[in-house]
Amino acid sequence: MNKSFPGVKALDSIDLDIYKDEVHALVGENGAGKSTLIKLLVGAYKKDSGGIYFNKQKAEFNSPVQAFQNGISVIYQENSLIPQLTVIQNIFLGMERFTPLGLIDETKIYQEYLDISKKLGFELPPHEEARNLGVAEQKLVEILKALIHKANFIIMDEPTASLSKNEIEHLFRIISELKSNHVSILYITHILGEVFRIADRITVLRDGKKIKTVFTKEVNRDEVITMMVGESLKDTYTPQPTGTKKSQRPVLKVENLRRKPRVNGVSFEAFPGEVLGITGLTGAGKTELSRLIFGADKLEGGQILIKDKSVRFHSPVDAVKNGISLVPEDRKKDALILMLELYKNITLPTLAQFSDKGVLSSGKEFDMTRQFIKKLDIKTSGVNQVVRYLSGGNQQKVVISKWLQTEPKILIMDEPTRGIDVKAKVEIHNIVRKLAKAGVCVIFVSSEVSEVVKVSDRILVLSQGKISGEFKRGVSQEEIMRIILKEDK
Amino acid sequence: MNKKINFNAQAYSIKKNGILFIFILLCVLLSIITPGFLSWANILNILRQSSIIGIMAIGTTFVIIGAGFDISVGSLLALSAAMCVGLQHHMHWSLAILLVLTVGALVGLLNGFLSAKIHIPAIIATLGTMTIVRGLVYLYTGGYPLYVDSPSFAFIGKGYLGPIPFPVILLIIMVVFWQFILVKTRFGRYACALGGNKEAVRLSGVKVDYYHILTFVVGGLMASMAGVVYASRLLSVTPLAGQGYELDAIASTVIGGTSVAGGEGSVVRTLVGVLLLTIIANVFNLLGVHIYVQYVIKGAIILSAVGFDTYSKFRE
Repeated sequence: MNKSFPGVKALDSIDLDIYKDEVHALVGENGAGKSTLIKLLVGAYKKDSGGIYFNKQKAEFNSPVQAFQNGISVIYQENSLIPQLTVIQNIFLGMERFTPLGLIDETKIYQEYLDISKKLGFELPPHEEARNLGVAEQKLVEILKALIHKANFIIMDEPTASLSKNEIEHLFRIISELKSNHVSILYITHILGEVFRIADRITVLRDGKKIKTVFTKEVNRDEVITMMVGESLKDTYTPQPTGTKKSQRPVLKVENLRRKPRVNGVSFEAFPGEVLGITGLTGAGKTELSRLIFGADKLEGGQILIKDKSVRFHSPVDAVKNGISLVPEDRKKDALILMLELYKNITLPTLAQFSDKGVLSSGKEFDMTRQFIKKLDIKTSGVNQVVRYLSGGNQQKVVISKWLQTEPKILIMDEPTRGIDVKAKVEIHNIVRKLAKAGVCVIFVSSEVSEVVKVSDRILVLSQGKISGEFKRGVSQEEIMRIILKEDK
Repeated sequence: MNKKINFNAQAYSIKKNGILFIFILLCVLLSIITPGFLSWANILNILRQSSIIGIMAIGTTFVIIGAGFDISVGSLLALSAAMCVGLQHHMHWSLAILLVLTVGALVGLLNGFLSAKIHIPAIIATLGTMTIVRGLVYLYTGGYPLYVDSPSFAFIGKGYLGPIPFPVILLIIMVVFWQFILVKTRFGRYACALGGNKEAVRLSGVKVDYYHILTFVVGGLMASMAGVVYASRLLSVTPLAGQGYELDAIASTVIGGTSVAGGEGSVVRTLVGVLLLTIIANVFNLLGVHIYVQYVIKGAIILSAVGFDTYSKFRE
């Protein structure tokens, strides 16, 4: 089997070939282009140029469904089973066997299920509803489903993200079993330990470019890390002196914060005028931690202190009153009202300030909005533009404006540069530094290590809901990556 | 890309103003066909016929803008009208009205609580309260019509201020008042915002459930007020009063361009929707279209109005 693939856009002319009966690992940092690549492969996105060859034939998939019908299956991080259906029903969904009368042939389905699960050495309760299964079992169901649909090429996106050690072992056994059954696997992961155990070859992506494809036997971990991170870490950005002054009291202190399953006892302090970077893998608990501090989710344990005073947040209302703001991870879902105008989005948290005896003054709202359009250089046709029609970067600036006009003491930004172009990204970094200079405590949460290193005064690494490392400004990206990837030794 | 934005903007403005365009077109057409159509008397007549549903639909507009739904308003109109008539045997009618409006607001509060706090889908929550309230109407009336004879009370539904019927004046005052609330106060803004994206409003530090419930309170309050006008106009109430009124209120609201997905809408345009439905019914009656056929056509109009909205959103 051969698959070659030059694309453009977020990806820059990538050639990738996957052999028959091969486990091929695709590694790279967040934002390197891994998921874009998968989406192009299965036709979820349209490619600008290039071609895909599958079993020596040119393949053009218009949708993941079409790819699926042609034997290419994707197993995503989040499981895609139907919770109320049983294991067997899920596996055979869309591939039911029928009796001559057109009824579902339960006996035949069950027999086929037994055959295939015996062949791979699975033991799953066939009549259990999918929602009662553990995460690992659910992954197995998805693999079985792929095989029933005659997949001979399976793409696995971070399959071990929420698995335990034993479950991971089990998955690896099944992967080698699949391999001997002539199924090729493209295995996408951050975790290098896994790669070295199961992959035949490794392809490293960085910034939408393919760095290299290597045979696993011929490289070691450090070489791969260097390929992932890149050498040229020095850019035009001039480091500024850290804003943290030892004598200052922390504006925010959190002690032993807990909320199952993702936050398992986090403590740290944050100071005024400081950019505190928090980084870690997807699923390490960064978003959950941000939401906890902002009062968006209920605390299950631990406490939050603001200026040495213990506070309890029942909802974000209380957090905002205490000068905390959150730029959430998913701006469309959690931050913007897409159908409303720019100014209505911006004045949302402080609407009381814009009303006089209960009557809103749009004049005042417009003034404030114009001020931010200018300050943050938002590209828009005016205060009345509906937010839906703005670009990602400009939408993010609207979210930031919305919070800046509340004059927060603590600004938490969760993945503030996700999905926006390079120029807007740099602008947002500059805004962050400016805010810190003005005395705001910015908590900059991102899984992109390179940007965290660039903007932060201090960096915390989060692994499995706990802080696993702390660094000062000037630390190299590689050092942080080593701590992040340490888990899998 | 540019083209697409233009298309969207265009669809947006058609949706916003299309209803007005159709309305004016229909009026011009009718004034040509039927000479007396644009006469002062006929206009007032149409407005008066629209006043009860119109007042009710103002509340429905708030509920739907907040991405909710309220099908209990027809029953609530009946309960309000029945109480308004019944209580007058024990107290002055003005006090009775006050009590009735309070009950309306409380039923709205219950609807809002069930929807926002208990998370019952609004249509199911109000299906429940619709049934409960209708039961209360039967309990209160004992299943028989109630009557009242009070000339001063009758003024609300039948009286005139100068040449204009009082219910029309009440309707216009209410439309102006609630349109003002919708566009010029925090409550109105938050109602739109939470209808568009409730989680985003919550994460903006707004007491979002409070405002969400308030939209239902307006729904209940206006249904009660419609009930008062109804009672005063007929001076009698049967236990079956107001059946199907919720559908007319919802239909007028969506025909007026309020999005069933929530987030956008206007009280003034709802009024246009109400007038449009009234006029269409009048024309059908003039043309001798059977009432059964009218139902079919009304349903088709509702589906077209909502379908246009939802399908253009889907395309985006």
